[in-house]
Amino acid sequence: MRGQRVFVTGLGLVSPHGEDPAEVFDALCRGESAIRMVRTGTPELGTDILLAPVEFDPDGRIGKLDQVFMARAAQLAVVATRSALDDADLLAEGGDIEQAAVRIGCALGGAEVIQRSYKTYFQRNSRRARPTSVPMTMASGPASHISMQLGIHGPAHTYSIACASASVAIGEAFRSIRDGYHDLVIAGGTEAMLNDGSVAAWKRVGVLATERSDGAQLSCRPFDLERTGLVLGEGAAILILESEQRASARGAEPLAEIVGFGASSDAYKLTEPSVDGQAQAVRNALKDAGLSVDQVGYINAHATGTPAGDRIEIEAVKQVFGSAAQDLAISSTKSMHGHLVGASGALECAVTALALHERRIPPTAHLTSPDPECDLDCVAGFGRDAQDLEVALSNSFAFGGSNATLVLKRA
Amino acid sequence: MSAYEFLAKILSEKYDVDPELISADATWDALGLDSFTIVELIFDVEDEFDIEISEERTTFQTLGDAATVVDECIRAERD
Repeated sequence: MRGQRVFVTGLGLVSPHGEDPAEVFDALCRGESAIRMVRTGTPELGTDILLAPVEFDPDGRIGKLDQVFMARAAQLAVVATRSALDDADLLAEGGDIEQAAVRIGCALGGAEVIQRSYKTYFQRNSRRARPTSVPMTMASGPASHISMQLGIHGPAHTYSIACASASVAIGEAFRSIRDGYHDLVIAGGTEAMLNDGSVAAWKRVGVLATERSDGAQLSCRPFDLERTGLVLGEGAAILILESEQRASARGAEPLAEIVGFGASSDAYKLTEPSVDGQAQAVRNALKDAGLSVDQVGYINAHATGTPAGDRIEIEAVKQVFGSAAQDLAISSTKSMHGHLVGASGALECAVTALALHERRIPPTAHLTSPDPECDLDCVAGFGRDAQDLEVALSNSFAFGGSNATLVLKRA
Repeated sequence: MSAYEFLAKILSEKYDVDPELISADATWDALGLDSFTIVELIFDVEDEFDIEISEERTTFQTLGDAATVVDECIRAERD
């Protein structure tokens, strides 16, 4: 017998497209890209690079003294959490959130603080570093600050699994409700690693997209023949997950239901994905959900826009779905919001939940010359109505070979 | 800007201390700053004036005493 059903009852975003989930979803369905060229480093020694940054001013949203102790990733996470709780109507008196659990995905923690700390250390003769560097660089900092700022006394745990961080955090949150450990979980991801040092290192990995002459915003092109790589983004996305019992007792309107989670490891290469590993995660998720492949209508793909990665994900989908793959819609919204790394799974899970709720599939933007090796319905152009959409997947595949797939259902 | 002026400014602007509490006689306790925050504040001062304050000189208990030590370090650096 299966346990509690798990509903998404609130969303909070601090994303490259803004903070209002409905507006973000509409922008994605219009194919609007938040990607642009950004100067990193210094005017003399820097470089222009494609990024999807978040416009965020903590003043007025995070207390002045709190800002001293909170890295950007933590600030984004706390603001997104407040929005999500508000969206779920849980911030008001009687919200009863004190015993909630917190499950946050974050790959790098206070990336900008690590940079500042090392800079100070090496510049000073005394080789001293700021004490705040210690708690601010922790990947677990955002979860801790959510707990402290919102007065949450349930466990506040962090999942740091590179690009799969947030999907695993949401998956584990889903299971902890389904299996009866919690009835309310604040789940999602946050990442803010667009600081110069991190970006410079990513640049040398050789996976970043190059700027298009017809517009920087068009440069991330998953599944397209002319794709050249991924674009780093930043942000936080938080989902409020509640048991059916708790949600119905307070009359909450669910946005979507989470019905399955699957994970796997490639046991292959650090930065090269594997068809079999990814396929295993998708299979595990469908088995967990008790669903067959022909019940799935849409996949929000991991597809970052790298030449090899997108092709391998398509192969993995084909391996799992067989002939049913031809009836699937599959899109990569990273073409517009970039790759949020540890937060990407949360933003994309939120987008998937909205797709089910709105019965509308967001596109893979800028897909004008489909790669013959990515020969599924990759939803070029703009969003598409999908009145029959009932089940959707959200894939996240990480460096290190960690794969995670979430299964969502229309509520 | 003098050391005291800088300390008063950053305490108010960055550390959210009520300007009415800020005076030369004010202790760290009175300003609501714990030891962790004081060490962070010392780094701000060092960055602003391009000095380094040795740890044995950071036992000051009031804002005025801190400003005196910073002024001495600035003079020492200049000489």
